[in-house]
Parts: sequence; C-alpha cells; structure tokens
Amino acid sequence: MASPLRQDGWFTRAFDNDWIGPGIVSLAAVIGISLFQPAFLSAFNIFVLLAAISVNMVIALGQLVIIGIGQMNLALGSIGGLVAISFVGLIEKFGIPVPVALALALGIGVVAGMASGYIIARTMISAFIITLAGLQIFKGINLGITEAQPFYGVPDGVKAFGTGSVLGPLPWLVVPMAICSLGLWYLFNRMRIGRHILAMGCNPHAAELSGIDPKATIIWAHGLSGLLAAVAGVMLAAKLQIGQPTIGDDWLISSFAAPVIGGAVLSGGRVSVPGTFFGVVIIAIITQGLVMFAIDPFVVQIVLGLLILWAVAINRLRELRITRMQARGAT
Amino acid sequence: MTALQVSQVSKTFPGVKALSEVSMTMAAGSVHALLGENGAGKSTLIKIVTGIYQPDAGQVTMNGAAIRFANPRQAAAGGLGVVHQERNLVTRFSVGENILLDRLGRQALSRVDYAAIYREAEKWLKLLDLEVDPRTLVSRLSVAQMQLVEIGKALSLQSRVLLLDEPTASLTPTESTLLFRILRRLRDDGVAIGFVSHKLEEVFDICDRVTVLRDGHNACDSMELATLNRADVVQMMIGRAERITKRAPRPKTDAAPFLALTGYASGLGHRDISLSVRPGEIVGLYGLVGAGRSELAKALVGLSRQLAGEVRVDGKPVQIASVAEALHRHGIGYVSEDRKAEGLILLHSVLANGGITIWRKLANRLGFLRDIRINSDVGPVFRRLELKTPSLYQTVGNLSGGNQQKVSVAKWIAAGVRLLIIDEPSVGIDIKTKAYLHDLIHELADQGTAVLLITSDMPEMVDVADRILVMDGYRLKGEVENDRNYDAVSRAIMGLIHAPAAA
Repeated sequence: MASPLRQDGWFTRAFDNDWIGPGIVSLAAVIGISLFQPAFLSAFNIFVLLAAISVNMVIALGQLVIIGIGQMNLALGSIGGLVAISFVGLIEKFGIPVPVALALALGIGVVAGMASGYIIARTMISAFIITLAGLQIFKGINLGITEAQPFYGVPDGVKAFGTGSVLGPLPWLVVPMAICSLGLWYLFNRMRIGRHILAMGCNPHAAELSGIDPKATIIWAHGLSGLLAAVAGVMLAAKLQIGQPTIGDDWLISSFAAPVIGGAVLSGGRVSVPGTFFGVVIIAIITQGLVMFAIDPFVVQIVLGLLILWAVAINRLRELRITRMQARGAT
Repeated sequence: MTALQVSQVSKTFPGVKALSEVSMTMAAGSVHALLGENGAGKSTLIKIVTGIYQPDAGQVTMNGAAIRFANPRQAAAGGLGVVHQERNLVTRFSVGENILLDRLGRQALSRVDYAAIYREAEKWLKLLDLEVDPRTLVSRLSVAQMQLVEIGKALSLQSRVLLLDEPTASLTPTESTLLFRILRRLRDDGVAIGFVSHKLEEVFDICDRVTVLRDGHNACDSMELATLNRADVVQMMIGRAERITKRAPRPKTDAAPFLALTGYASGLGHRDISLSVRPGEIVGLYGLVGAGRSELAKALVGLSRQLAGEVRVDGKPVQIASVAEALHRHGIGYVSEDRKAEGLILLHSVLANGGITIWRKLANRLGFLRDIRINSDVGPVFRRLELKTPSLYQTVGNLSGGNQQKVSVAKWIAAGVRLLIIDEPSVGIDIKTKAYLHDLIHELADQGTAVLLITSDMPEMVDVADRILVMDGYRLKGEVENDRNYDAVSRAIMGLIHAPAAA
C-alpha cells in the first residue's frame, strides 16, 4: 500500500515553515529602517528594543501555550498584574527575601492558571468565558490589595536586573526570555505534555480516544500559561521599578498578535516558538520604528492590523494546500 | 475460544429502547460481521462495548471476565482496539507518534524518545505491510493509509479484540482487498475481529460469523455465515413489513418535470446522475449509508459545485450556487436528516425557527421583522401540522423529536417551496407522528409540490413514495415502480443495490 510521497521543493518547504516568513520581514524591517535612521541601530536603541521584546515575548509565550491547545486565555494580563504587585508587595510589606518572594509570586501565577484550567476541564465551558471571569476576579483581587496604589519597594538588585545590561546592548531581561523560549520550544517538541497539548489542539476527539487525559492536559496548559504570565509580570515590575497595579492591562492584543503573525493557528495544534519570537520582533520594530519617523500612532495600529490579516491569509493558504493535497491523495 | 461476549444487553434512551436483550459472541481467530440497517442499534452496541455508553441491563465479558469500561480510554487500556468510522488521527503529527500517542512518556514532563517510538512504530507498520516511514506526517497519507495507521494503533495496544466500524467506507476496491488480506492474517494470528459494513459482498468475502440487529433486537446471534446466503441476510436485516400498507398507489402524473438532472456530476463524487421529479410526485431515493443520497440533496441545494451534466428547474437550465438561491429563486427546500445540527436552531423559539425561511419575504422595507407578521404566515402551517407546543415562544430544543420535525418541515411549507427534499423524516419519531408526517407528505404532493424523499426505512419508503430510485456508490443503480407490494418492492430494491455495477 505504499505510495511514493512527493518530495517538496525548497520553496514549498520554506512556505510551510512558520518562522522563515516573519524572520525575513523582521530582517527587512531592520535594514529598511536603519537605512533611513542610522540611530535605529545605536547601542541604546537596541538595548531599549531588546528589553521590550524580552517582556513581550514571555507574554506571548503565555498565550501560545493556550493557543496550542485550541483555547484562549483572556486572564493572562490580570494574572501577570496580580503576580507583579504580589512580588513587590511581599518584599515591601513583609520584608521577605527576594528569592522567596519570587517563588511565592510565581506560585501565585501557577495556581491562578491551574484554577482556570481546573474549572474549564471540569465543566467543559469555553475557556473564553472562564478566563474572562478570571480576568475580572484576579484584577479585583489586585485592586483590593493595592487600592490602586503602586508598591514602590522594589529592591535595588531587582531594579538592576530590570534595567541593567549583561553585556553591551544586551539587557539582563533577555536571560529569562531566552530560558522561557528554549524551555517552551523543548516542551512542545520533545516532552510528553507538550505533544499532548498540541494533539489536543489539533484533534481533541482523536486525542481522547488515543488515551490522552484531556482534563489533566488542559490543567497543565493553563498552569504553564499562568507561570509564564507570572514571569512576565515580575520582569515588568523589575523593568518599571515599581509594583504598578495596571501591569497586564494592555497585554491582551499583542499576546495574540505575535503568535498569529508567527504562524500559530487559533483553533489549536499548530504553534511556533521561533515564529512567535519574530512576531514579537516585528511588532516591536514597527511600533518603535514608526515612532522614530514621527508617524502618527494610529498608523501603527493600522499597520499592525494589516500584518495580522496578512499572517492569517498565509495560514489559510497553507491549510488549503494541505486539504487539496489530501483530496488528491484520496482519489 | 470466546474473546468477547455480549449477553442480554439492553439500553434505553429517553423515549426509545435502543437495544433490548442483545447478545453477540465473538471468537478468537474469527471475523464477525455486525449488520443491521440504520437505527438498528449497531452503533449503540459498539458504544456500550467501548465504554461510551453504560448498559441498563446485561453484561459484556472479555476473555471470560466481566468488563465495564467507564470511557474509551479504559477500553483501549483494557485491550479493546476500535477503529471508528471517522478518522481519529492527529494529522499534524507523524505516523509513529500517532500510533504511540498515549505512550510518549511515563510522566507529563518526560522527554519523548523519538528514536524508540519510531522503532516501535516501524514494527507495527511492517506487520500491516505499510511501507511508510514512521516519521511521515499523517496529513501526507492517503485515506487508506490513515486507516491502516489506525489499525496499527489499535493493535499496538496488544488488542486481541479489534472492532472496525465501516472500515471500507472510504476505500477503493483495491485498497479494500489489501485491507482484507491483512485482516485475514490478523485473524489467523488469533485476533477476534468485529466488522461493521453495509457492503454485503465484503461481509461474505471476509467474515465467518454474523450477528444481525433489527430495531434493537437480535435478528440473529452469531450464526455461521456459511449456513446463510445473501437473501437470508437481507431478509433478516429488513424483516417483513410490520403492517400492511394502507395507501393506494397515487395516480400517475405526466406534468412536465419540475426538476430534471441529466448526466449530473457533483463535487462530492456523484457521477452520471439522471433523474426527474414532477410536480405532485413523490420520488423516493433509497440506498444504504454512504450511498450518497443526502450528499446529492446537499449538492442540489447549492452546497457543492456542479461538475458536469445539466440541471433544469421548470425546464430552464440552471446552476444553483447557494441555499439562498435554491430557496428564493427556485423554490427548492431541504429538510435535513440531522435536524438538530443542520435543520433547527435549537436555542431559538418555535416562531423564529418557523419563520427563518421567509424572513426575507416578511421583512418590511426597513428590514424589520415583526412577530405578528411571522405568525400570520407560519401560524396556519403550525396549526395544520398540529404542532404541540406550550407557546410559539417556546425554545425548539425543549420540544419532542416529532414536534421538532414538524417545525423543521413547517418552515419550508411556510416558504411555499415547489420542491421539498425530505431527508430521513422519521428518525427518532414515534409511530403516530410518523404516520402524520406521511399524510402530510401526501397532502403536499396532492397540492402539487414535488417531493424527493430520502429514507433508509424500507416500510416508510414503500408506504410513501410513488417510484423509488436506488442509489449506491454515488450513482443511480435503477428505478423501481412502487405498487405498495412490500415484499416484491423491497426485494427489487435490494436486488438493484447488490447488482454488480454496470460497466
């Protein structure tokens, strides 16, 4: 029953690859902008850009896990915000040492995520609704604790981490970003839980019939998402040097935009960590580059919207190609 | 040796007794056919064995021990391999990973040892003569290859019992032959294989024992297939008509056809279909599951492209591109077989569902709809159908099956369609409502509506249709004039289905 499988040409393979497209766009944008604005490549600018990319990448990864399983996490930002103020608050109010406060804060993120996951798995109500409720609840707890006032007690060491550089234009914030990215890439490609998350996203029915435990997988995914939201929250508190209650309020749109530009399919099962990275880079460059040219902010928004449409169109083309291939194979 | 035994299993759903005291004994090293018409209870039985449903009474034993699986995962772990009718593979994953999806690692955070997985998968692929690299993505396989991968997956669980639900439905004859060769080898290795199919040639080709279900009862329990011939099996499947048909044949009409197809081919796979339906005529379309009847109806109302041939409505050649066009321009309505998923909006009110087809007509110039206006058009139809609902604002999902069906028929009648295609009108409906629907179909035809009736219920077909077209494999196999003589007509129909395809 063997039939010779077609060998795809280099173009098709590149087309199917999630990160080459956004990678080329990123590179072209860097070259294009620096031709007109050499200051774009100044050490200072690169430092600023990388710091922003680092935080946004971890945020996007938090959403990517949930996109992988075919759901959405609207509570991502409010978990990140709750963790950020808890981290600074624990240090300021109770004098807890930084490593302990960090562990507790990350724990809060994991527990918050797992709580959403547990409710979704138990009730099978859409994640959209459950995390929408989570968004409200976590934000409410945040405002209850802070009374909308920031915590200022960020220790100097944490501030140095949030604003200092490892080497030249390379901020310290790149380190947690790199660890999270590599970790998640490994998880999706080489670990049982990652494969199960993607299998669930691709075909939940088949996954369940194959013996995957859907409930456990959903709880894992949301726990991971909560952990990544927590890491991003701490990074942002360190970067801003303040436990700001509004942290997380503006994460939602870019947390979806970057993975989608990076080739993720919102129905689940198809995600790319490198693709998401370039998605984050593109958004950062456009936002910052257009500011350098003193272009109106509304243009930035429109360009971002068009980029998302473009990414979705590419995804759709790929899916159509696969469907056509299968139709041919069947006859 | 008995591998799987079902004894006296009963299962009742609200309002329907799906299985009553059904038994089946599957032996190791044997291929066992499970046959029956739609709604006979085959899938309910499979779902009970695999733990999707729990039986109300009776028991299932495997290798002598009673089993009661809480869900399909437990069934798989318990050594019961099932290949469902629809494909259950993760298409973006490799073949090897799909086969061993539940054994990728001991713990959630375990590293996946791909080398070991591909080695293990290779073993099962080799057993199935499937020369595919286990690293290949499933999305690149043909349907037949996917089918074999699923069998490999079931076998890799060390299953000694393998249930195949219509495994050949999407295979070409050559592919089926290859599949059978493998099944025979598995049988010789001592695997007990359950085989559900609607194709009797295949059953006689590969199976050695047979259980036939009819209306949730055993028409036969694990008989030796060698002692039976095709006619016996067909007889057991369809049974005798439970009641003498009371309707006299309707007078023939010689009006010009309302709908006429010549050499029609659809994007769904229909080839060379020629048929005509005249105003006032009830044309039946019979065939087994997968024959392409509902698909033809869907293609006709514009859900698939016309590839060849000609479609004439009222004598004029047309191309119907959408359901809206079929309804508003040509007056063709389709009552879907799956009224819950495709026919009704269960969460909406009776009134809203009834009026949905005529919103366009009823909306005033500003596009506003008023309930009163809808009611004045749909209300009389509901009254004529004796729809039982507490109020017109009742949610359709809360009505009984029969009343839901009335609403879904009513909306087309209200739209004043000239051709009504009715697909399996009486699935899940009690006998009284069924008779009522039949009267209604006749009444519609008497008033000049052309009706195309699709049903797998043979007595219903013989009772209602004027003439019966027989479809198999997306082609028409012939036509039977219906004189309401149940035995003769049903035999003629089954004869046409099982006649070798004309070259």
